[in-house]
Amino acid sequence: MATVTHTAPPPLVTRRKVGWARARRYVLPLVGLAVALAFLGPYIVMVLNSLRPSSDVVQTPPTFLPRTWQWSTFSQVLGDQRFLNWLKTSLLVATSSTIIVVLAAIPAAYFTARFRFPGRIAFLFLVLITQMFAPTSLVVGLYREFFELNLVNTYLALILTNSAFNLAFAIWILHGFFSSIPKEVEESAHLDGCGRFGTLIRIMLPLSLPGVVTAVIFTFIAAWNEYVVALTLMLDDAKKPLTVGITSYVTGYEQHWDQLFAASIIAIIPVVILFAFIEKHLVGGLTAGSIK
Amino acid sequence: MARKMTALIAGAGAAALVLSACSGGSGSGTAGGGSSSGAAKVTSIKLVAAEYSKDHTAAFWKQFADKYKAKTGITLDVQVVSWDSIDQQSSTMIQNNNAPDLLNLNVYASYAKDKLLYSADEVLAPAIKADVLDAFVKSGTYQGKMYGMPDLSSARALFYNKDLFTKAGIANPPKTWDEFEADAKKIQALGSGNIGYAMPLGPEESQGEFSIWTFNNGGDWKTAGKWSINSPKNVDTLTFLKKLSVTDKVTQNNPGKTNRAQAFDLFKSGKAGMVVGFSPLAGALDADKKVNYAVAPMPTKEAGGTPQTFGVTDYLMSFKKPGNQAAVKAFYDLYYQKDQVNQFIKAEGFLPVTKSGLEIFASDPKLKVYLATLPNIHLTPTDDPTWDKVKLAVQQNIGAGVSANGDPQAVLTALQKAAENGG
Amino acid sequence: MPVPATAPRRRRRSRGGDTPIGVALLWLGPALLLILGVVVFPAYELVKAAFSRYSITGLRLGDAGTTNFKNVLDHPDLITVLTNTVIWVVVVVALTVLVSLALAQFLAKDFFGRKVVRWAIIVPWAASLVITAKLFTLIYDYYYGTLNMILQTLHITSGPIDFLGDDRWTMPSMIMVGIFVSVPFTAYVFVAGLNAIPGDVYEAAKIDGARPWQTYWRITLPLLRPALVVASVLNIIYVFNSFPIIYTLNDRNPGYLHDTTITFMYKLAFKSAEKDVGMSAAAGIFNVILILIVIAIYLRTLKWQEQED
Repeated sequence: MATVTHTAPPPLVTRRKVGWARARRYVLPLVGLAVALAFLGPYIVMVLNSLRPSSDVVQTPPTFLPRTWQWSTFSQVLGDQRFLNWLKTSLLVATSSTIIVVLAAIPAAYFTARFRFPGRIAFLFLVLITQMFAPTSLVVGLYREFFELNLVNTYLALILTNSAFNLAFAIWILHGFFSSIPKEVEESAHLDGCGRFGTLIRIMLPLSLPGVVTAVIFTFIAAWNEYVVALTLMLDDAKKPLTVGITSYVTGYEQHWDQLFAASIIAIIPVVILFAFIEKHLVGGLTAGSIK
Repeated sequence: MARKMTALIAGAGAAALVLSACSGGSGSGTAGGGSSSGAAKVTSIKLVAAEYSKDHTAAFWKQFADKYKAKTGITLDVQVVSWDSIDQQSSTMIQNNNAPDLLNLNVYASYAKDKLLYSADEVLAPAIKADVLDAFVKSGTYQGKMYGMPDLSSARALFYNKDLFTKAGIANPPKTWDEFEADAKKIQALGSGNIGYAMPLGPEESQGEFSIWTFNNGGDWKTAGKWSINSPKNVDTLTFLKKLSVTDKVTQNNPGKTNRAQAFDLFKSGKAGMVVGFSPLAGALDADKKVNYAVAPMPTKEAGGTPQTFGVTDYLMSFKKPGNQAAVKAFYDLYYQKDQVNQFIKAEGFLPVTKSGLEIFASDPKLKVYLATLPNIHLTPTDDPTWDKVKLAVQQNIGAGVSANGDPQAVLTALQKAAENGG
Repeated sequence: MPVPATAPRRRRRSRGGDTPIGVALLWLGPALLLILGVVVFPAYELVKAAFSRYSITGLRLGDAGTTNFKNVLDHPDLITVLTNTVIWVVVVVALTVLVSLALAQFLAKDFFGRKVVRWAIIVPWAASLVITAKLFTLIYDYYYGTLNMILQTLHITSGPIDFLGDDRWTMPSMIMVGIFVSVPFTAYVFVAGLNAIPGDVYEAAKIDGARPWQTYWRITLPLLRPALVVASVLNIIYVFNSFPIIYTLNDRNPGYLHDTTITFMYKLAFKSAEKDVGMSAAAGIFNVILILIVIAIYLRTLKWQEQED
């Protein structure tokens, strides 16, 4: 938000405003630091836990910094072929699911936002209601269905599942964005000769980019971190995604906390990379006139 | 326009395909998936194996599958599942009439009761059955037939911290419960966070912890074929455990909500004077080289008693499916080869299940304390299908008996009622 | 120039009018197919399972009529579980929305290091819930937990607190984690919503002499309404169905004292003495109905409908 100074203000208000404007430069970053620490704190603990031997993680009494530093865990995890397989699976499933969700949700959201048709409200509610079924309760039915289709233990099954599970969010958020774009914008596009599809691509999408980007990030992360369905459908070790695979590190009989956390940290990186690429569209300005 | 029409038709076609394919049978009664009705031999069988450790389980089964294929020409699909989720996985498969051919689980009797399993007569060579230790044959036998073939076993013993003992002035590990209580008090009195005895009665395996204590008091889950969960001896045991926790305060915080891993962590940190452990714990302690520990038999209630060893075995059961009998038999034939079964047991750090295995492991001095008692090992009543439910009830409820306002008599009586009602 | 969309626009001649259902299917086709195939079919299976009788191995033994539903309703711990669920959902969603609104507003300001903060917030969202839950189990531990260590070092507490085992602390501990993992994505939904508000609106408000709070209450919040509805409705659903946090943090606690409907449902199937898949399916259906009721009430209260028509 821009700070706008009024002309000929009362002296007290000017002083307050100017005082705040000066303090702002220091206060806000400090608050920002506190916020960042609050959200990163537990993960700092996780990083430290990945840099110490597993026994030190659960040692009583605990120390914040490792008693002995162990630097080899990351290379150990990255050198493990099983881990690399899990990583590959996660990348494949998350990326494909995201693409499918975007391709399916955009037309659906646009259509329900703009056009009247029988069953429109029903569709929106169907989308919402299907989100209410917890994956844990659907898992058995999913297993049966994919078993009948001979798709158990295939990437396709997992991709389709993750796509379906995340449609609601994408449709709803895009629906909201599309609805809020004034009809005049579209009308002028039609006058210029754009068909329905062309309008969607050339006008609506760029204006709703933050919504699209939010849907992309949301779906990717949801698919990346999905656990219950992957656990049930993926039988081969190599086809398990990271979420399922890394539970192998800590069993009832052998606990490798250091490897578990190192693997988890590595698992966060692709998400952060994706975020880095699209972040500016998430928060960038879209319509003229907003000064951030 | 044509593009849109094709898309519409493709969409409708796909929908029709999906819906028709999904109208598969509802099924009830048999867990045998598969489409064939005849005795056509299978070309692949499926094993769902529990994951004991990250490094060894998958590796073992992979080499086993290779050998199996070389020997029989049949593919062995191995799915390794963590212990946390293997119940869910196996239940999902069976609900969908798609049970695996072989399942590695810690129970079997309910599956036998549902008539899902092959018995030893059908798939286990007599020579192998004769080689399996009697205690395990017995625990794997339901209604006169053996259905649960043991994959490995473990036995518990009392682990104690020699340094803490020396500091507290204790010369020898306790032999009776009174000595145990006194020793625990001495260690607790050392202060600075030291704990006399780490007692895990949390939901993970409280039936194990309780078993080992009550067996050494002459108590048991079943006596003469009938449930005796609230027998006086059992109540006495639970009362003793409550005393340790609430009155003497010689245990760690909240034993009713502590699982084995946490109790072991305390012992591995050198903070707990004693804990009931097993061979994987010894393996971890040896790797860490931090704690100067030793292993002793469990103390008995009265002086002069024979220490009872509590043991656990997991099972490899096989499901009746058309055409897989020969393949399953070949599986057991290969698994119980001395070099296979004992290789698995050694890698995971457990104890043998066969008489021949006993001889092989006898040369390991660290296992001496367990092996001596293995043939007479005392197990929980896994041969009773009701136990499958009772065990879960015990896990969820027995910890409450040692809390500050816990009532051992009431807890055990409730469990007894549950057992008598069929779980 | 885009006009702020404060009033619902009613056009007498809406674009497309009565669109034939065939065309609608084309646009909705892929989404519909996915939903029907992946969610509706298994949901139907769930319903079938709820009316079936199962052995504890999972073998289907036959029909059960409404026995499973009755058993769930008669379960002695049902009230506890329902109470826990209500507390869990209400507190987590309310606090998450509040914190996220504040956070989104904060992130909209320009200051040194803003990018770092934005990146930091993404981490709890990016990390798998299962791992975060396991991490917190370690952090909350009585003996080797980081939290107890920090609290004692800073002399805030004198002795360790049993965050997960002490019945008074278990629910607050779980709620903290629930909020912690829900705030990031909610905040970003609001950030996206805030960015959709054109800057002229604020300028106009300033020229009219509105103070920051008035601007926020009268202009920002109403314009954020679509984002608010999406975020809160979806949050209600996700928090309701949130499994890993409650399950993992309660791993050492026997019984159902701190369970919500979703973990209750899971335990009924696999971990409890009942070990009854049919009963679990019935509980699952109740869970969906419960969520439906909650959302219906919520939306009715918001009068969501008028926004759309």
